[in-house]
Amino acid sequence: MINILHKTLQIDIAYSVNSFIYVLRRLPIFKDLITDDIYKSKTIKRIIGFFGMILSMVRALFLKFMYFFVILLICTKFFPDILVRAFFHIYFFLTIIGMFINNKLLNTNKKKYFAMLVFNMDATKFFHANIFWNLLTSTIMNGIFFYFFLDYLMLSPTILYSLIFVVFTLAVRLVGEMLNILFFRRYHYVWYTNSNLYFPIVLSLLACCFLPCINITISMRLIIVFTIIFILLGIISLIYLLRIKDYKLIYKHLSQITNVMNSKNEKDYLKQAMVDVKEKDKKIDHKLLEKKEGYDLFNTIFFERHKEILLRSARKYSLILAIIYAVVFYLMIRYTNYNKSIAEFLHVKLAAFVIVMYFINRGAIITQAMFFNCDHAMLQFNFYREPTVILELFKKRLLTVTKVNLLPAFVIGLGNTIIFLLSTNTYPITTLLTTFLFIMSLSVFFSVHYLVIYYLMQPFNKEMEVKKASYSFVTLGTYIVTYWLSGVVLSSEILSVLGILFVIIYTSLALFLVYKVAPRTFKLN
Amino acid sequence: MKLEIHDLEKSYGTKEVLKDVNFTFEEGKIYGLLGRNGAGKTTFFNALNSDIPVDNGRFYLEDEFGRNILRTNDIGYVVSTPTVPEFLTGREFLKFYLDINKDRVKDLKDIDYYFDLVKINREDQDILLKEYSHGMKNKMQILVNIIANPKVILLDEPLTSLDIVVQEDMKKLLKGLKKNHIIIFSTHILELATDLCDEIVVITNKNLELVKKENLNSKKYKDKIIKALKEDSNDQHTS
Repeated sequence: MINILHKTLQIDIAYSVNSFIYVLRRLPIFKDLITDDIYKSKTIKRIIGFFGMILSMVRALFLKFMYFFVILLICTKFFPDILVRAFFHIYFFLTIIGMFINNKLLNTNKKKYFAMLVFNMDATKFFHANIFWNLLTSTIMNGIFFYFFLDYLMLSPTILYSLIFVVFTLAVRLVGEMLNILFFRRYHYVWYTNSNLYFPIVLSLLACCFLPCINITISMRLIIVFTIIFILLGIISLIYLLRIKDYKLIYKHLSQITNVMNSKNEKDYLKQAMVDVKEKDKKIDHKLLEKKEGYDLFNTIFFERHKEILLRSARKYSLILAIIYAVVFYLMIRYTNYNKSIAEFLHVKLAAFVIVMYFINRGAIITQAMFFNCDHAMLQFNFYREPTVILELFKKRLLTVTKVNLLPAFVIGLGNTIIFLLSTNTYPITTLLTTFLFIMSLSVFFSVHYLVIYYLMQPFNKEMEVKKASYSFVTLGTYIVTYWLSGVVLSSEILSVLGILFVIIYTSLALFLVYKVAPRTFKLN
Repeated sequence: MKLEIHDLEKSYGTKEVLKDVNFTFEEGKIYGLLGRNGAGKTTFFNALNSDIPVDNGRFYLEDEFGRNILRTNDIGYVVSTPTVPEFLTGREFLKFYLDINKDRVKDLKDIDYYFDLVKINREDQDILLKEYSHGMKNKMQILVNIIANPKVILLDEPLTSLDIVVQEDMKKLLKGLKKNHIIIFSTHILELATDLCDEIVVITNKNLELVKKENLNSKKYKDKIIKALKEDSNDQHTS
């Protein structure tokens, strides 16, 4: 087992160090300085590997610290009177959620794929080493942080409490791994990929985390009872996990299901799966296509095949937003103190909707789908690269994307208008109108923005890796500016007028640029 | 040594790809597996290698120690799209592979010997596999699959992407290996199959069929193979 862990670690380090050097060599400053010979140099690679290991340890410790810290922060802020009880309560339920969703053994990733199917490692030993390593590291980290945080909460005897929770967590994780594998062997899929199971279980457990809001917490006595039960189940689970001999077969079937085998790495697969044409979209209602021809037909087929990620997703967002607004309306009608504050919040902090619109816009994903499911193949044909064709299709796409994105925007715009109307404060019609138009123009902005940068930069290669730093820079910049803007406090009328003006100018410039430049920039990398 | 396939069946949804397949492959021969697009060649390999669950079927390996169920460790499977850890150098990849599999490799040699075997130049040994051409990645994949000395070697269109010189080298390598192995080699290139393989097996009508050469000359043998392939009424969607 130690040997397997040692080998896996060596491969991991070599892989990470080489990836780091590879990225470094792509930067203009290092391009000429570093030659291929660096891959031969054992000393340099050892030094980079050492620092890499330290960094990943620090990262793991930091993440664990943040996990405990955030729970403590929530408890301090919202439940100061029952701080310790709430801390234990939330930790308990989060650990149970982890039992269901934080399973390591059935994760398919590149590391496991190479270890078992390329390097031909003994799968059973590899899995045992994995179980051992995961449990050991998480137990050590939990031990350290429990002691640290419980000491901070002045709970004594600290060691005893820490021990109970560390053992509880360890046992819960073992049970989780066992249940996950049992389920997979019985039904041939990983349970949490089924959203009909995933959401009810996780959401109800998540709701239990909030029980301290109504002053209900799980008692320490009950936690101890659960710990004992889980220790017994954990022992059974461990025996079950150690007895499994067909890990390689399980993993092969799992890889086959997730298609990781045919993909260079898991990230590629996930990206591809994200833009995959869904089964129910494969058949198109032919009435929709009857009167269409040429690129109009081409565009319609594309969007009909991507209904799930575009139209249905926009509808889902709209529905969720409508429910949220209904709750807000109810609060405004029922509680007078909420009435004024909600409308006033909207009046001065309308900018917060910039980030909301950023997140609900489907522009980024649809451009990826355009490339992966259409353009990356079509751009190989000369006729598809004709400037007139590029611009014609751009126009059609822009119209469709904008139309679809306007649906959730309309719900938000209408919702905000109703909030102003329900308020006991009276807001002039100009406020209502400009605010509504602002939201709609934001939607247009994001639709235009993603499509324009896609046409101007075309950053993807066929593995859907972003090959242009400028594209990453622009998307990161978009996020930073959006985030910054959403914090701006400005009256909704001024913000709306400025926003609408900006969107008009930006859209005109962007479209002008696309018409000038896209025939040259829209090509394969 | 014999590889026995019994009652193999595999469907994708309602579409049957392999049905009631019974066949025996023998040691010391290279079998050329031919089939039209979507006939089920890759499905057959994936089923043998336990990469996909089958609806029915048993596989046995009979050797001097008796008749046993075929295990995944008995098989070396060279897939048509080479999958190698791209951020390792060729040397690192081979080093780790030999370290991990040293108990399985008979007569372990040093790394340079193996590079020479597949003719990978010294200057290419220390660059990332990511920088390797498709053909070079394929050579590395073939190499690691033969180092481990599995009893059955499955090759899914492995030579198509290699240049003519390397193809010849690989053919010699495979011919040298066939003595103690069962080699099944799928290809679309009829000339390659008749040139390299001792037996031709076609997948037709969801089943495996041996096309015997008998006393036919090369031309007539090829015609017979094409005729057998044309008999396939299977739809051509799944490969």
